[in-house]
Amino acid sequence: MTYEDAERELLQIVERLERGDASIDEALALWQRGEELYRFCAEQLEAAEGRIEELAKRVDANRPGG
Amino acid sequence: MKVEPTLYGDRKVYSVAAFNRGVAQWLTRLPTLWVEGEVTELRRQDAWQTVFFTLKDPESGASLAAAMPRGQFDALRLDLQNGERVHVYGRPELWEQKGELRLRALSIERFGLGAHLAALERLKAALAAEGLFAESRKRPLPRLPRRIGLVTGSDAAAKRDVLTAIQARFPPARVLVAETYVQGPRAAPALVDTLRRICAEPEIDVVVVARGGGSFEDLLPFSDERLVRAVAECPVPVVTAVGHEQDTPLCDLAADLRASTPTAAGRLVVPDLEELMAGLARARDGLGRGTRRTLERHSARLTHAAERLRRAPVLLVERRRAALAQAGGRLRALSPRSTLERGYAIVRRDGELVRSAGTVSPGEAIAVEVADGSFGARVE
Repeated sequence: MTYEDAERELLQIVERLERGDASIDEALALWQRGEELYRFCAEQLEAAEGRIEELAKRVDANRPGG
Repeated sequence: MKVEPTLYGDRKVYSVAAFNRGVAQWLTRLPTLWVEGEVTELRRQDAWQTVFFTLKDPESGASLAAAMPRGQFDALRLDLQNGERVHVYGRPELWEQKGELRLRALSIERFGLGAHLAALERLKAALAAEGLFAESRKRPLPRLPRRIGLVTGSDAAAKRDVLTAIQARFPPARVLVAETYVQGPRAAPALVDTLRRICAEPEIDVVVVARGGGSFEDLLPFSDERLVRAVAECPVPVVTAVGHEQDTPLCDLAADLRASTPTAAGRLVVPDLEELMAGLARARDGLGRGTRRTLERHSARLTHAAERLRRAPVLLVERRRAALAQAGGRLRALSPRSTLERGYAIVRRDGELVRSAGTVSPGEAIAVEVADGSFGARVE
């Protein structure tokens, strides 16, 4: 799942819940799913440590057996 | 003039001037011929006896210094500009003072105007006809790329600008930088190769191709058909930031998005972290609020149903009572009592109703019933 997928689904769930027309079981399941998605997104933002890497030059590339 | 060496024992040694002279003399044996190239670094000044320029081979990048006496150059009335393709008739000669080879130009002919531009226009039209630049091919950039590929020259400015912009806007960004040639004859194939390799790396969701400003020639690799096709075929969206605002190399047209500067490219490929956090917090609030609203609605509906349930027996009794009262009313309307209430009386003799005056005789006892009771009487 990408961040975008999670964010899109989360917003759909919020919209559905705000309409207030879901059944109780549905509402609780949606809420639970929404919290999972929220945690996923938040972790993506918090866990990622900014990093700049350099792609090895082709000549340096270690390619055993050619 | 004869070139004389100095003798050290049996070793013949030449001075620099003598060596240059010797080579210069040898060069005069080469034929006079035509050379095609692009004029660059044209230097003409009224105070100088000679006009200098460099002829360049746009395909390979090879260059050749050339010179022509100013009088001769002016007589041609060519009004030459840098970047024009010419045919030069001349012969090689050595500038003896420096030992540098140059082409002594005897004549210059303009060969087509901006042959490159024409070739570029043809390529552009052909690729456009193929649909390579179509709007429908443009893909949206990912909102939050897992990893960003950056293809750039070792030219520090463009690379630094992209990285600075990315990190300022979205500190947790992960960027994979691939440096390669960004000008000269090796640039186009190297750029293609680097683009393919960086896309093959895991989690690359978007690629930035950045290069600082340069001359029209410097930017030519970015219009190379191989690179333009590689950009169009790239498996992930490509953002280009090549040269300055006014330059539009063909790879810009094939890219999913064109940025005016490397800094702009950096800002385009990442979201604003603070905005993203705020949006996420709003979504979470909405999640709680929406769930509460849904549950409150269910609860309200339940309360309403319970009230209706509680009121049901009372309603039932009331309804029955009303029905009974109505029935009573109708019953009363039909009973003889209501007739007596209007002033009539019922007369009985020995319990029998008296319906006719002829059935009673004077002195007989009768019973008279009125609305509120009865009393005895005698017939007169």
